[in-house]
Amino acid sequence: MEDHAAAAPGAGHDSATHLDGDDRIALFALMARARAIEERGLSLYKQGKVPGSFYDGRGQEATAVGATFALGPDDPVCPLIRDLGAHVVKGTPAAAILGHYLGRTGGVGRGRDGNVHFGDAQRGVVGMVSMLPDMMVVAVGMAWAFKLRGEQRCALSFFGEGATSVGDWHEAMNLAGLWQVPAIFVLEQNGYSYSTPSARQFAVDPLERAAVYGMTGASVDGNDVEAVFEVTRQARERALAGEGPTLIAAQTMRMHGHGAHDDASYVPAEVFEHWAARDPLVLQRERLRSLGVDVEAIDAAVRAEIDVATAEALAMDPAQPQSPLEDVFCEGEPQVVGRGAAPWSRFPGS
Amino acid sequence: MTELTYLEAISDALRVALAADERVLLLGEDIGAFGGAFKVTAGLQQEFGAQRVIDTPISEEAIIGGAVGAAIVGMRPVCEMQFADFVACGFDQLVNVAGKLHWRLGLAAPIVVRLPSGGGVSGGPFHSQSPEAWFMHAPGLKVFAPSSAHDAKGLLLAAIADPNPVVFLEHKYLYRRVRGEVPEGAYETPQTATTVRDGDDLVVIAYGAMVHAALAAAAEIEEASVRVLDLRTLVPLDERAILDAVRDCAKVVVVDEANYTCAPGAQVASLIAQYGYGDLDGPVVRVATPDAPIPFAPALESAALPGVARIRDACRELLAY
Amino acid sequence: MAGGERLLEIVMPQLGITVTEGTLVGWHKQPGDRVEPDEAICDVSSDKVDSEVPAPAAGRITELIVAVGETVEVGTVIAMMEADQESAQGAPSPVAVAPAGEREPAIPPARDAAGRGAAERHSPVVVRLAAELGVALERVVGSGRDGRVRREDVLAAAAQPAAPASSELSVYTPPPPGVLSRMRRSIGEHMKRSLSTAATVTSWIEVDFSAVEARRRELGVTALPVVAAATVETLAQFGELNAWLEGERYTRHTDVNLGIAVSLGAEGLIVPVVRAAQTLGVAELAQRIADLAARARAGTLSPDEVRDGTFTLTNPGQFGTFMATPVINQPQVAILDTEAIVRRPVVVTQDGAETIAIRPICVLGLSWDHRALDGVVAARFLAALRERLQS
Repeated sequence: MEDHAAAAPGAGHDSATHLDGDDRIALFALMARARAIEERGLSLYKQGKVPGSFYDGRGQEATAVGATFALGPDDPVCPLIRDLGAHVVKGTPAAAILGHYLGRTGGVGRGRDGNVHFGDAQRGVVGMVSMLPDMMVVAVGMAWAFKLRGEQRCALSFFGEGATSVGDWHEAMNLAGLWQVPAIFVLEQNGYSYSTPSARQFAVDPLERAAVYGMTGASVDGNDVEAVFEVTRQARERALAGEGPTLIAAQTMRMHGHGAHDDASYVPAEVFEHWAARDPLVLQRERLRSLGVDVEAIDAAVRAEIDVATAEALAMDPAQPQSPLEDVFCEGEPQVVGRGAAPWSRFPGS
Repeated sequence: MTELTYLEAISDALRVALAADERVLLLGEDIGAFGGAFKVTAGLQQEFGAQRVIDTPISEEAIIGGAVGAAIVGMRPVCEMQFADFVACGFDQLVNVAGKLHWRLGLAAPIVVRLPSGGGVSGGPFHSQSPEAWFMHAPGLKVFAPSSAHDAKGLLLAAIADPNPVVFLEHKYLYRRVRGEVPEGAYETPQTATTVRDGDDLVVIAYGAMVHAALAAAAEIEEASVRVLDLRTLVPLDERAILDAVRDCAKVVVVDEANYTCAPGAQVASLIAQYGYGDLDGPVVRVATPDAPIPFAPALESAALPGVARIRDACRELLAY
Repeated sequence: MAGGERLLEIVMPQLGITVTEGTLVGWHKQPGDRVEPDEAICDVSSDKVDSEVPAPAAGRITELIVAVGETVEVGTVIAMMEADQESAQGAPSPVAVAPAGEREPAIPPARDAAGRGAAERHSPVVVRLAAELGVALERVVGSGRDGRVRREDVLAAAAQPAAPASSELSVYTPPPPGVLSRMRRSIGEHMKRSLSTAATVTSWIEVDFSAVEARRRELGVTALPVVAAATVETLAQFGELNAWLEGERYTRHTDVNLGIAVSLGAEGLIVPVVRAAQTLGVAELAQRIADLAARARAGTLSPDEVRDGTFTLTNPGQFGTFMATPVINQPQVAILDTEAIVRRPVVVTQDGAETIAIRPICVLGLSWDHRALDGVVAARFLAALRERLQS
């Protein structure tokens, strides 16, 4: 198994024909927002304001944002730990995200679940459970329903290498390939599952299993947001054309530990150095600069936005115990997964 | 009204639901072309098509998790585990995803998971379990366990209509051995307990196959008037009906086919001890299968499961107290 | 037939664990035909599957019992065959298996750890019903286990007609009955239980309280703490009186936790406890007793202050009564009662001659449990106490 530092980026993708200038700026702004929220969240955590644990996906913003950017408004997404970018693309407000980390009533999870276990279902985000990759199975179920009903919709699920060892992953892959459901599976290949390097996680690279389970496999440079967008766009086209699911292996790196409580000392320094030089925001910033875009202005605007959101979140009331049985059962009309934002210019109203 | 077996009543419920609501789907192993291990779904795939009555691979997590996914985008999936025992292979999706979904995300997961459960058929340890307590214990799941053909159809239709995940225990011993009058077309049985035999000297509280053993035991006790209360639904548990029966009868025997420790009857007994204390004229007695796997050989199995004689003797002893 | 040939039954098999019947589809053999082991005898069908029934042994078919097309219950004999000597597979003999015991005993034992039996403890519903129906439980004969009173017994007692009024008197219509207060009923229960548990005997002694009076005036207290101090000192020599008897369990205490009966007026009475009274002098005892009494009347005693008493002192003599037969405070074995101090003429010896003098006399009554001690101990205790009080 190759050292993750030397992993080659995936095949180049020419995204230029599908992204206009505003899209390319949007991709950067969305990544910047995701990173800013996480930096602020980490700071709040270190200030003792965030109860429980704190997880972020620093360094993986391009995968989360790039893939979700290719989804339509009615395509639900199942994010995992490193995918705050997916929530941001779908339109979840920063204040609601920060409020969620802080355990406030105005947070997305209303205090009931914490850290990355959230998802605004009404914006098409189905929040994760801790057991990985349970949500991949749920994504298969959603995709299957879309196919049954003849709808032009797909479902996307993110996961890491460790999840590919779990039984649910294989059941999901098998069923998705057997029924040829319109699903997109994004494997964030960052070389580690917590502290376990991939050499100790599996004998065969998961990307090679795509064919074995009856679906297309694709590899991509996970730190190039436009390349990730392009490969996902193709997977979506394939899914909606009835050509079945795609497993996308995005090569990337998790620049922080598994959680804020992990110093990642098991990662050799040279690996971090290698990937720091390929920071996804830096890459996209360079691209935009060469197009004459004022990226500093975008950075500043994002910072200001997050400052406002932080103040708003800190002003929210802490979640108070109500009836402990409230909402355990659905008493009225069942809510279904709703429609989220779809900022890609190709979608109307974006 | 027609007379149907418990199994036919369940099939009828599925047929009525499939016909009435195009969101209803059935998934499970061998349920389509083969009609199911017990033939509950026989003929349904021919009638409604392979898109609605679906044969799945052996993937209990995928069956249940996939059902959740379909449900949260508007379908009404009804999953079958081939035997209740195999729900253990899909436990995570059921307890951690389906059960907690509404509380966490405000999304309903209107799925039904049908479990052919229970013993008395020499099925051995992996084909005879009564796992209802696992799911009573998990917040967010409803648990239904009918004992009659009438209630099997009515409760299954209620489960399909319910916006919450429902674990539906159909007792396989009762499939072909119990028959009853069943209304035609659609109806729903209320999610409550029901008195199946009147009496006021003592009440036997039971559900599923044990209701029939309790009725037979009560009939043998000619010297006293023994009531039998059929719980029908374990979540929601009809606490009012239980406490009313205790108030009327003052003596209670609670029967479980499930293993003694933390069986559903343990919850019933503790409820009575706390809230029915002032109405009791004797200790709350439990009759249950001992804490061992269900044996396969007939003599061993019938010694383990509560039978008519054990229930009757426990009642007599308590009546004399 | 040669010895060893056996008749074997061929039965309708259960084709599926939930199946209850099967249909005979066709016979492969006729009576007289030979069969080898596992050779098909007939075809059968159930709603789940079709199958054949193989011969259990080598032999000859003797009889076909069920007709083609007939549906019978699982286990029904459908044919008979005669097995050859050596190849017969015997039916296994039934295994006698003891039924798996439930948790034993399903119904708890008759007597609890304190020796109280089912007969003495009434269930909540029996107590409530008896109160509602005005049934006196101590008069109800219990028909339940170990003589306990069951709900039916209370209902039967309530249904009994009242004793007929005398024909000479006009009919008396009693006023509608009420119920005694919880405290009163609780005291009543305790008293009743004590009298029915202990073998209660009362012994009395007259004591000249002159020395007591002098002492109490000197200290500025009432006679009670003086008597209490003397009692506690005397108990050190008579440990048999400072004990608990609970069924079989007999405990002799080293500390004297002295209970002092305090009247709460119409409400009832309560017995707060001075712990380790043997460590306290008269003045301290007086203080403690006054404090406990005040708080008892205010209703602010803590639960710890009314438990673990080892001996009780009661002194209701303020109204003039001079003797009583106090009831022992369970599970103690004795209780001391001091009544009114009455100035009486008594015979005293002055200057070697007997004469009449006027002295303050108080009768001390000791009720004691004959299960735990004899009259001699009680008498000697009282004598020793008198000695102390009169010196």
